[in-house]
Amino acid sequence: MAEQQDTAPGFRKETVDKLLKGFFKEEKNKLSGDAALLMAELLKVFVEEAAVRSLKQAESEDCNQVDIEHFEKILPQLLLDF
Amino acid sequence: MSLDKEETRQRLKAAVHFTVGQLCQKMGEVHRRDFSRQVIAAITETTFRQCDVFATDLEAFARHAKRSTVTTEDVKLIARRSTALSKYIQNKSEELNQQRELKKKNTGKRKSRDTEEESRE
Repeated sequence: MAEQQDTAPGFRKETVDKLLKGFFKEEKNKLSGDAALLMAELLKVFVEEAAVRSLKQAESEDCNQVDIEHFEKILPQLLLDF
Repeated sequence: MSLDKEETRQRLKAAVHFTVGQLCQKMGEVHRRDFSRQVIAAITETTFRQCDVFATDLEAFARHAKRSTVTTEDVKLIARRSTALSKYIQNKSEELNQQRELKKKNTGKRKSRDTEEESRE
């Protein structure tokens, strides 16, 4: 835990591995180590993108807090971009 | 069995929620705005569902290449819809490759040193 707080936030390789394997239709399918690391990076970009776009939306509406309505507005385009 | 599955699902979701919270806080600090708890939960839910889409695609790509293991090549295809993202992922992949080669070199050196010492003995 303490180790993770020192480093930059991001998804753990093991988490991504379990997450994707849980969604696989065929249970014998596997994920290579590098693929898991790369997917962790991709998911981080996805979350950062969701956060920044929501922030910009809140900014344009002069709101101090990012609320669900801001996220709702950016969600369609976000999903089209990934 | 299904109870276990449900529990792992909840745990994974909690892990995703934790990371989303961390990332949002980091972003919020830069822009001096904070995220409502609802937004964090919504981003978590979206990420979780997006993972389902990603996993289905990755599986299909691997099967198309007649493999049962998903590789970085499949991940690169996931990022095909946006040029900027595609480039970013390609660079990251190359970085990973370089890191692995460096490690290989280091362990190789260590091994040769070990054998040298052994031969001296």
